[in-house]
Amino acid sequence: MADPRKVGETGNRPDLLTAVMFVGIGALGLWAGRDLTMGTASTMGPGYLPRIVCWLLVLVGLAVGGIGLFRAREDIAAPKLRPLSIILLSVVGFAFIAEYFGFVAASVWLLVIGSLADRESRWREVILLTAGLTAFGALVFIVGLGVQMPIWPFWE
Amino acid sequence: MEFLHLLALGFGEAMTPMNLGFCLLGALLGTLIGVLPGIGPTATIAVLLPITFYLPPLAGIIMLSGIYYGAQYGGSTTAILVNLPGEASSVVTAIDGYKMAQKGKAGSALAVAALGSFFAGTVSTFGIAVAGPTLSSFALSFGPAEYVSLMLFGLLAATVLARGSVLKAIGMILLGLVLGMVGIDAASGEERLTFSAIELFDGIDFVVIAIGVFGFTEIIENLENVEARGVLVSKLSRLWPTREDFQKAWPAVLRGTGIGTFLGILPGGGATLASFCAYSLEKKVAKNPREFGNGAVQGVAGPEAANNAGAQSSFIPLLTLGIPSNNMMAMMLSAFIIHGITPGPTVLQNQPEIFWGLVASMWVGNLMLVVINLPLIGVWVKLLTVPYRLLYPAILLFCCVGVYSINNRIFDVVLAAGFGLLGYLFRKAKCEPGPLLLGFVLGPLLETNVRRALVISHGSPSVFFERPISLVLLLATAAMFILMVLPSFRKTREVAFQEEEA
Amino acid sequence: MKQLISTAALVTSMLAGIGAAHAEWPKDRPIEMIVAFAPGGGTDVMNRTLAPYIEKELGAKITILNRPGASGEIAYTAMTQAKPDGYTLSSLNTPGYLTMQMDRKVRFDPKKICPVARIVEDPGSFIVQANSEFNSLKDLVAYAKANPGKVTIGTTGLGTDEHLALLQLEKSAGVDLTAVTFNGANEARTALLGGHVMAIGINVGELMGGDHSAFKSLGQFADQRAVIAPDLPTAKEQGYDVIVSSERGIAMNCDVPEAIRSKYSDAVKKALDNPEFQEKAKQQSLALSYRSSEEWNKEMPARAERLGEIWKLVKEQK
Repeated sequence: MADPRKVGETGNRPDLLTAVMFVGIGALGLWAGRDLTMGTASTMGPGYLPRIVCWLLVLVGLAVGGIGLFRAREDIAAPKLRPLSIILLSVVGFAFIAEYFGFVAASVWLLVIGSLADRESRWREVILLTAGLTAFGALVFIVGLGVQMPIWPFWE
Repeated sequence: MEFLHLLALGFGEAMTPMNLGFCLLGALLGTLIGVLPGIGPTATIAVLLPITFYLPPLAGIIMLSGIYYGAQYGGSTTAILVNLPGEASSVVTAIDGYKMAQKGKAGSALAVAALGSFFAGTVSTFGIAVAGPTLSSFALSFGPAEYVSLMLFGLLAATVLARGSVLKAIGMILLGLVLGMVGIDAASGEERLTFSAIELFDGIDFVVIAIGVFGFTEIIENLENVEARGVLVSKLSRLWPTREDFQKAWPAVLRGTGIGTFLGILPGGGATLASFCAYSLEKKVAKNPREFGNGAVQGVAGPEAANNAGAQSSFIPLLTLGIPSNNMMAMMLSAFIIHGITPGPTVLQNQPEIFWGLVASMWVGNLMLVVINLPLIGVWVKLLTVPYRLLYPAILLFCCVGVYSINNRIFDVVLAAGFGLLGYLFRKAKCEPGPLLLGFVLGPLLETNVRRALVISHGSPSVFFERPISLVLLLATAAMFILMVLPSFRKTREVAFQEEEA
Repeated sequence: MKQLISTAALVTSMLAGIGAAHAEWPKDRPIEMIVAFAPGGGTDVMNRTLAPYIEKELGAKITILNRPGASGEIAYTAMTQAKPDGYTLSSLNTPGYLTMQMDRKVRFDPKKICPVARIVEDPGSFIVQANSEFNSLKDLVAYAKANPGKVTIGTTGLGTDEHLALLQLEKSAGVDLTAVTFNGANEARTALLGGHVMAIGINVGELMGGDHSAFKSLGQFADQRAVIAPDLPTAKEQGYDVIVSSERGIAMNCDVPEAIRSKYSDAVKKALDNPEFQEKAKQQSLALSYRSSEEWNKEMPARAERLGEIWKLVKEQK
């Protein structure tokens, strides 16, 4: 990744993003665990260590952010939404289709939609690859290794 | 003399054509599932258990063990080739192994991993044979207090895994600890951080996080980089390690073997901790620690040796005491019992052919694995030259099936996609996921043992200092901390928090 | 997301309805047995061992599907949501199944779960190292009286069999014991061998199934001595009111026609009587104790009530 450093400016963007994530997740953990009993050091309740660790996470996040503010400016390469969204969508779709329509349908979905993430994909290759990998997957995973997933939409 | 006698008995058992055949079958199958990300040996062995009903006991057990250590071999292959660790112990292999692959040295990394594993497997197999019972009694002296000190040591060592800022690495470890706390707290029965999702009651599975932050994130990242697509950044160089590689690798293999054999016998996270500790050690003793994270061959050799040695020596508590040290060994225990053998001290006396036959077959199996794997390296490396547009859909499919197969539910696949997104954000923020995974694996062990130790000592923290093993470990942790902090004081403030940015 | 799941489920069930040309149960497709625990665990191995013998009796195929998690809640939920046509059943384990309903709202409707056959009843017990000075529960209680809180006993978590046994013993003998939580019986056994706790709770069958030469048992918590441990005195015989056992069996949705349920129950009985299976059960130290659908159903409320009483002790301790 080429990060253009602009001379003279401050604010390390990756550090600031880190700070946001650490503080955010720490706070989320504190909120989600707000009802857990603390207990004492000798008989720790379920909330004792989570609270300590979440606070530490928030503190580390603040420290990273504080230092990041004063470091030389560094930018984050602009995210490309196409691969990110398509890959995640194809995976989530795979899960739901596998549950209700079996492996073959899910695998075809995953491979065809997943291939859209790459602009270089060629249709003929995608079709061949999908057919080959689906057959391979059904044989090796489900028949061979006994993954508990139906192959076809219905058991009958 | 008696020892040689027993070993001869063992080899006699292991070398019968049938047992050899099943050993080979297990090793092959193990390599296969090791290479397929996410499909773990535990699930495979569960499926194959009923089939082994029809085999003689020793043949069945030899095959199942073959699957186990075969999977350890195969697991490092995907870690090196496509940055996809299938289990906790190959996370560290991915760090430098994948960098080597990107530099065109995949063949060298795979060969070092295979040879290092074989050496470690040989040493620790004989370790089991010679010192099994002694080692296991040592493992028993590890109580809650000792575990706490060991885990603290391991967590501190984890900060060394990251190339960038130490502060970020600490943050990632803490994040891993938080993730490890998700689920029902056994001591109180309360659900924690589950957001009332029933699927989270048992916590998050390691494979879900690993496939998310390594597998999916890597694919997305690769597709984003238009110029440098795929794994190979530079041209493929020679297949075989150079002389220099060997010279760097062999001391690392020796150290890794020692660490792995030793930590592998500890119940719980022992074997996992082994590869992390080996990596940290290598980085500390290296003349040029900057190479680590950029394709250091010791960063592959040490952890791989430790990992395989640990896998072998985790059989020790099961064979000598009848107590399984991890889930995989619990499966093996079921396998033994189904065949009417109850592992433990009595088996050693009454059915020596089973114990020694298995020990001998492990060595034979390791030899077979090297013979199978070395020629395969050429094939694996060729795989990297396949255009990425054809390679990534296959990786995607294997990952999805692997995640689904953990608990047979869609929730885990969706969760893994979520971790893919999180991993993507980490990349953008220049945070490395290695320490997160170590925190995640060790966190629950740390927490339960802290609580256990304090319940047993009625709240007195002196228990951590009174017990000699615990005290030694704590002193080592303190020493390491000082070593880490000292150089920072000399550097400027800016550098102090940025150990060496790659 | 919930909406999406239910819509998809609706579509699937409609499609399935069209596709199904029913032959008579159980011949037209495989029966799906949902096991609530991970592959390789005691419940899983038992069901996988038993399945072929039930198949033989019914002339049907049984496929085993593991849905581990939340002590069985995930499996019970999946079973009650499946079509009540007798082709989906699940494993059923007490006390987990009963205690999970006491503390919180569960995600399945307990009224929809009908026990079909009990296969195993495995009493709880306390064990110590073989060279321990304790030989009976009496010795343990005497020591605990002299040293309140000093006796550490390993359990596998709050509300588990072992923990319930510990609470009953505390109440019945008037002593103070310290519970130490472990993740599973194997971890607890390791700690006992290393001398990090004084005793641990473990089911008799679980103990007998492994190499137990390094341990001795102080007593079993059954009403009557279990078939697999006829020489081990019960807690009652030793003068303490401690009764805890874990049961393993099979359940179906209550909407499944009763004829199918009792047919399955009979098939399980015949499978259990098969000498070949009995041989295997002996190897695995299964404390076989069959109850028919009817009998088990009848016993369930009493068991739930007794657990409810003990559960109050858990609440007090919190």
